[in-house]
Amino acid sequence: MRVLVRLLSTLLGLAVAGAGALLALEVAWHWWRPADVPLVAPWPAWRDALANTGWDSFSVRVAAVAVAVSGLVLLLASAVARRRDVRLTDPATDVSVTTSPRSLARVVGTHVRAQDNVTSASVTASARKVRVRASSTFESEEQLRPRLTESVTGLIADLPLVRRPKISVVVDSPRDRR
Amino acid sequence: MSRPASAKALARSQGTERSLTFVTGLLALLAGSAVLVLGAGWFGTYRARRPVLDPAVTEWLAAREPVVLRVVAIVAGLALLVFGLWWCFRSLRPEAKPDLRLDRTEGRALTVTAGALSAAVQADTEAVDGVTKAKVRSVGDPGEPALRLQVWLREGTDLRRVWRDLDAEVLARARTALGVETLPVAVRIELGASPRRRVR
Repeated sequence: MRVLVRLLSTLLGLAVAGAGALLALEVAWHWWRPADVPLVAPWPAWRDALANTGWDSFSVRVAAVAVAVSGLVLLLASAVARRRDVRLTDPATDVSVTTSPRSLARVVGTHVRAQDNVTSASVTASARKVRVRASSTFESEEQLRPRLTESVTGLIADLPLVRRPKISVVVDSPRDRR
Repeated sequence: MSRPASAKALARSQGTERSLTFVTGLLALLAGSAVLVLGAGWFGTYRARRPVLDPAVTEWLAAREPVVLRVVAIVAGLALLVFGLWWCFRSLRPEAKPDLRLDRTEGRALTVTAGALSAAVQADTEAVDGVTKAKVRSVGDPGEPALRLQVWLREGTDLRRVWRDLDAEVLARARTALGVETLPVAVRIELGASPRRRVR
């Protein structure tokens, strides 16, 4: 997403530069040689078309919807392009440490899979929340969940994280379905 | 509140690009919605039927001094051109890798190139127990360079011990070798990376 914003930003800058160049060029040309307009963009045709189109016409509405939707896309793209790194405490002054949410999830996942009676597990993590979904063939949710929560909490407490993420554990077990 | 140099070095800043994209998106959304509302007749059915290039506007413009309008339009166009080019090249340029200037005195300047510095620190970092791979580069302004270390750790490595080793051996050594008091460092740690296996 961060690459996408950089790309969009480049294209927008290019578009603004192009529009500005066209505006300056056409106005200057019109001033210098009023008989030879237009130079590049066929603006007299645009002017006549706009003078004959009402605000409630279909084409204006389509254009407005297109502009609003592309604006929304830009808003969303720039809103989701934030950094998701997990901060760790600074070991010394002038040293800052982060880790990726992915590696936090990897550590928790390895730990959970190594517990007894866990068949498989998937973990998603962010700086605020660690979510574990484990499945177990032999133990029910009531038995396994407190144990897993406790051990994951211990594991997270051992890591020097700046903010303690909330931990949620869900166990999926065939024993609960009977 | 200004963040310390080491925190700034953690990742490339994208604030300007993000804000400009956000503002453009907001303006486009507002303009599109305004035209839709106008066309739907919320400001009066009669107003919705008027042409987009309203004769009232063209008459108002025709009553102005043409020289002023033209000069304003040309200056605005040139300003947009300069701003757009700045925006475009700012988004495109790669992240700087500043050299470390240890001595700026005239005639005896001493510079450690970014490549030499990164190679030395990288070799030291990879020698720390538990580190499988490291990438090092210099980041920041030429006046205030910092180091960014990306470190991959083996599964089950004790983080605190690695930090102690990094600080005591790698960074202290870099500071002593360079003869600087402070060297802002950002470390990005990848935990539990699977070890490389050789296929036999």
